Order: sequence, then C-alpha cells, then structure tokens
Amino acid sequence: MAILRPAGQFDTSYARDMATIRGPWQWWLLCAFVLALYTLPFYASQSLVSLVNRIGITIIAVQGLNLLTGYTGQISLGQAAFMTTGGYISALLVNNLGWSFFAALPVAALGAGIVGLIFGLPSLRVKGFYVVMATLAAQFIIPWFTRNAFPEVLSGAQGLNVQVPVLFGLEFNSPQRYIYITLTVLILTTIMAHNVSRSRLGRAFVAIRDSDLAAEVLGVNLFKYKLQAFFLAAVYAGAAGALAAHNIRHLNSETFNLIDSVFYLGMLVVGGLGSNLGPIFGAIVVGLLIEVATLFGPFFISLFPSTAAGAVQALRPLFFGIALTLFLIFEPRGLAHRWYLLKAAWRLRPFSH
Amino acid sequence: MRKHLFSLLSIMVLISLVLGACAPKPTPVPTKAPTATPVPTKAPTATPVPTKGPPDLAGETITIYHFGDLSGPYAAITAPLIHGAEDAVAAVNAAGGLYGATLAVKFADTGGSIDEAVAAYDRFTGEDKNPLVMITYGSGEVEALAQRFAEDKIVNITAGLSGRGFYIDSGYTFGLGPIYPDQLGFVMAFLKENWDTYKPAGGGDEIKLAYLSWPTAFGQGALKDESRAYLEELGIEIVAEEVYDLSPAADTTTAILNAQAAGANVIWTNTLAFGPAAILNDLNALGLRDQFVVAADNWAMDLATYAFLAEPAYGVGLIAPFPYLWWTDTDNPGIQYAQELFEANERDMAEHNVGYLLLIAGVDLAVDAITLAIDTVGYENLTGEAVHDALIALGPHKALDGVLRVDYSGDNRSPHMSQIRMIQGGPDAFVVIQDWAEMPDLRPTE
Repeated sequence: MAILRPAGQFDTSYARDMATIRGPWQWWLLCAFVLALYTLPFYASQSLVSLVNRIGITIIAVQGLNLLTGYTGQISLGQAAFMTTGGYISALLVNNLGWSFFAALPVAALGAGIVGLIFGLPSLRVKGFYVVMATLAAQFIIPWFTRNAFPEVLSGAQGLNVQVPVLFGLEFNSPQRYIYITLTVLILTTIMAHNVSRSRLGRAFVAIRDSDLAAEVLGVNLFKYKLQAFFLAAVYAGAAGALAAHNIRHLNSETFNLIDSVFYLGMLVVGGLGSNLGPIFGAIVVGLLIEVATLFGPFFISLFPSTAAGAVQALRPLFFGIALTLFLIFEPRGLAHRWYLLKAAWRLRPFSH
Repeated sequence: MRKHLFSLLSIMVLISLVLGACAPKPTPVPTKAPTATPVPTKAPTATPVPTKGPPDLAGETITIYHFGDLSGPYAAITAPLIHGAEDAVAAVNAAGGLYGATLAVKFADTGGSIDEAVAAYDRFTGEDKNPLVMITYGSGEVEALAQRFAEDKIVNITAGLSGRGFYIDSGYTFGLGPIYPDQLGFVMAFLKENWDTYKPAGGGDEIKLAYLSWPTAFGQGALKDESRAYLEELGIEIVAEEVYDLSPAADTTTAILNAQAAGANVIWTNTLAFGPAAILNDLNALGLRDQFVVAADNWAMDLATYAFLAEPAYGVGLIAPFPYLWWTDTDNPGIQYAQELFEANERDMAEHNVGYLLLIAGVDLAVDAITLAIDTVGYENLTGEAVHDALIALGPHKALDGVLRVDYSGDNRSPHMSQIRMIQGGPDAFVVIQDWAEMPDLRPTE
C-alpha cells in the first residue's frame, strides 16, 4: 500500500525513501516500546509475561506462514509440523549432544527449513487446494515420524523432556527470564521478514502470488522462489518450535498439531495477509481470544453447572470462528489494513476523506 | 489471485471448524440412581492430633489449585472434577475449615494442551507467592511440569500417572493412583495366575498380549522398558502394538484385526472414556468379543466409558486395576460422605463418576497433608516443601476413610496397592475379582 503523506513532505534521497523509521519521534516511540517489552517482567504479572511469551512465539510462526501464504500465495497447513521438526532438532541437540540452546536454535530453524523444502517440492506442479494437501501431508507424516521412528532417541509418543536454555550459568527457567529470548528472536525475525518483503525476493513472492504465469513470463523462476518461500516459512516455524519446546520443557508429536496450523492461518486472515503487521495483530487478537475462552470456561460452568460442561468445549473454536467470519465479511484485508487506513487518516487530517 | 486466496482460506478454515463442531459429543450416562442411603455428614478425615493446642487460623485462606482439560479430548472425565473439588472444599469449610482457615479452590482449563497447562501453572504461581498444592490430571502435563514443581517446591497431586513424571527429575509429584506400568504388570500377573478362569474360548495356554492404545503420553504410558521386562519375566509375549486416534470417532477395526492375526488373546488399552469404548464397540461389531480378554488402565473403568458404548452390555468383561473404592461400596463411610455431598449439591448423574469421587478423596488427602504440615512446622512456616514432607510422613494412609489408599513414604510417589475389578452387568457393576494387593514396582529407572 502506498504511503500517504500530507502535501509538502518529500523524500530527498533514496535512503530516506527506503527508511522504515522516518522521524526521530518514531525512533523514540520504537525504543520506548521495545524498552517497555523488555522491562515487562518488572511491572507485569507472571501470567501476563507468560502470555506475552507465548504470543511472541506464535507471532514468529505466523510471520513465517505470512511469507509463504500472505506474500507468495501458497497456502500451508503444515506450519505446526515444521514447528515440531524445529522443536525436536533443538531438543535432541541440547539433550543428547550437550549443545547450548543458543547454538541449537539456528540449527533447528535451518533443519526445519530443509524439511520445509522437501514438502514444498510439489508446489511447482500443483496449486491451490493441492498445495494445501501437500502441506497437510507434512502435518501427518512428521508427527508420525516422531512417534514411531527411532524410539530410543525420540521416545515415541511419550516425547522428550526438554532442558531449559542456560547462558553463562543463568537458567531461563521462568517466563520472566524466557521472555528475553523470545523477544530477541522476535525482533530478529521481524526485521528479517520486513527486509524480505521489500527486497527482490519479496517482490518475486508477491509477483507469484498475484499471477504466477505473469511472473514466470517476466523471468521470475517459480520453482526457486516458491521453494525459498517454503524454506523461509519452515525456518520461522523451526525457530518458533524450538523456542516453544524449551519454554514448555516437553515435546511430543501432539505438542503442535493440525488445529494449531489452522489457527495460524486464521490469525493471518484476522491480522492481514501479505502485511508485516498482520502476523503481529492476528497472533495478539486470536491469542487473547483463546485466553479469554480459556478463562471463561470455568466461570461459564459455575454459572450454568448442568449445561455448560459440554458447551465449554465449543468456546475456543466458537470465539475463533466468529472472529474469523466477522473479519472475512467486514475487513477481509485484516487489522493491518485497518491500521494503515487509520494512519493515513491521521496523516491527512483534517482532510482524511 | 488474492481474491481466490481469501476464498480458499475462508472455505478451508470454516470446513475445519464445521468438522470439529460435528465431532460426536458425549451423551450423559443414563445411570440409575445409586442405592446408598444418605448418612449423617462426617467431618474430613484424619486430622493429626497437634502436640499443643490447635492454631486458630480464622481469617486465613489456603488455596488449592487445579487445572485440567475442560474443553479438549479428556473433558468427558475431567469436567466432574471441578464440582468434586468445589463440593469437597465447601464441605471442609462448612465443617469449620482447616483450623479455622478457609479452604479455597481455583481451576484453570488447559484444553488438553501442555502449552495451556504451563500457562495455567505460570498464572497460578504468579498470583500466589506461596502455592502449596496443585492438582493436575494429564500425563503429558505431569511430565512437562514435574521439574517446575520440584524447582518451585510445590506439591502436585495428580491423576496423570506417567511414571516418568513421578520418578525422573521430579520428587514433588504424587499420584492419586499407581503408575501405568505398575497397572499393566499387576493385571497381567493376575491374569497369568488365573488364566484358566479368564481365558477366552480357544485362547490357548499362553497369554499373548496386544497393546492397542492412543498415540499419546498417556496412551503409551504403560508399555515401558520396565513393564516389558516384567511381562517377559511372566512369560507373556507382546504380539501386537497398535495405535488408534484420540477421537470419539476412532475406528479400531484394523488394530483389532492385526491383533487377531498376530494371535493375541488379551488386549490392553491405556485409554479412557471413548478409548476403551471404541475397542469394545468394534470387537462386538466384528463378532470377536469372545476371543479376547480386554483389560485397561483404571480410568477406563468409569461411567464416562458408558457414554460412548453402543450398548451398555458391551462393557461387560472389561478388567482394570481399581486403586480406590467405588460408589457402590456403600458400607464405606468415605463413600457415604461423597454420596451425601453429591446429593446435597444436586449434581447431575452424568457426574457420578471417578472424577467427582477422586477429587473428594484428593482434597481430603491434601487437607490431611496440609494439616500435618501445619502441626509440624506451624502455619507461619507452611510451604509446599512442608506439605511435601507431610505427604511422605503420612506413610500408609487411607484418604477419605479408605476410598483412596496411598503410601508416599521413602521414594514412593505413587500408590502400590490396588484391587482388580471386572464389569459384570450394567453401569456401576464394577465387581472386585482381586482384593487389595501389592502391585509390582515398575517405576522408571532412567
């Protein structure tokens, strides 16, 4: 979307035209926001820190999906499976080989990326629902593999107990500590996603999404770029999976499942496909909805003891489904689009119409 | 293209939601009203005698936390736990509280997700700087949280009976029942001993076991290195290991036919509610019910299973370890007390299951341990560590007048005594075929 600015504001250099942060006050605002996040453990409750931690990890996974689905137009139902891959790689490297988590994390992300490449291979020959089926296969094959292959290493269905990250003797064994790892990785992945989206790579992704035939005619190598999108999406998922596994301290084939993959897609729709803010908005809104549904369940049961026990099972999908339907009807471009409109209206005031 | 993308996405997500919503849901169990006649209320059991006068803790509040699956696959058995805990705590408070202190209970829904269980743990430990006891239900969450409980010195009384959660990097996790490998070994040893009585027609002289279960930490919780070695010692061969979906709509036909082809004559399933029901339904549908002895973990022998049986008669013959008493043991004062609470609070008959009963007993056990801890270290020094020590110091202990028998002394973190029961007749007809006996100790070593 073009950046709308009041009349009279011009960029005078290429660097300024490309700048993401355009004014000193934006720097201040960004620094204050990051500082507020990093100091969260000092003023927020443990449950809020824990929630932010989990949402942060989810954002990373959805950012990867956004590169694949939002930018490249390849719908994937396998994001959670790639999280499983990353989680297992990291857990094994740390548990069995004694690696530091901080060394295992990038290797886990890359490992998941390579697995993502394999499941991305069919994308050259098939489109739409058929790509979905290929990624859905990942969601069945990878958990099956972790459950049945090498039980002496992967512990079968029982799964693995995962060690907490340790850095210079400091154990990241509480949400207040773990959030520093999550936030740091999240900032790195956000910068990376932002830069990918405005690079040659990102423009090729968008070209493929908008019309793969036209893109190919223009010289975009479909096979190469689609595979790169799958790789990047799986790298993000691998990093998120590793972060989640060491945060939960346990991992099995069910930790990240098909429902998670569906929810990640929904988050993307709610937040806004093909926008770097989309995964952030989507993960926060849906994450909070899930949290509300979780907290509401016991309260609902105490209000309606005889009827609510069964109904509570539907709360989470109900909240999610309603939010998704409303967004699809009223704001199919997601919250990110609404945010851009708000910003434009603010900048163009008093002539926002 | 984007337009198509949105359409595709919306259709897919909505289809997923509709499919999820269409999944069969448990129907209330059409049980008959229990025949027990209510008896006068009794005070919570076994308050140890303090050495000096009892402290007056009026105005204080002691909170028990519990979290479990209310909106996920295990909800059928978990939902009544909430009311069990609420009713038990209300009864303790009505009887004067814990040395005058009000007992409170807080619950969180995990949806069967370990991630949510960790979130609930974080929430509770964030709210309370000195949490004493948490009650949990899932094997996966027990394993994931065992280390945290030990680090934070918080007692976890749990129904998730995964051996690893109790004995590896743990110490603060205490089982409401025997770990699953012990249960498998116990029942198999019993069957070995009494094979002539229980063997199916044409079952042969040797027990050949098929392990048909869910592909989860709970489902695979019984078949461990220790239990495999024990079965080998007994001369029992495991001829088939099959998994089936953790779903009320699971089809176990292939797993059963594979077991049959492998020559199995005993099926063990480490599942609950729709898990054993799926096997029993499919065995009957295939006309193979009389070719197998079907045995399961303790949670399988519950009214929740009946909610998923095609015919109540399909449950007949199911064998399971039974490490507590049941609602029909009406001569037991603890059962009478639980029944009275159930009726006084006008609970739905669908909740008249193991979840409700066990939470009454579990709260009673927690109260006993907290009381002993207060007696030992005083209220001002009451911590999770003190409650941990008290649970161990209780030694062989009969919670709720023997409804639950535990012994956490030494390194034990799970009970080693159990009955074995068999369904003979309709719901609730869980008949004792082996009285309380010592179980094999098949705890994990590494």
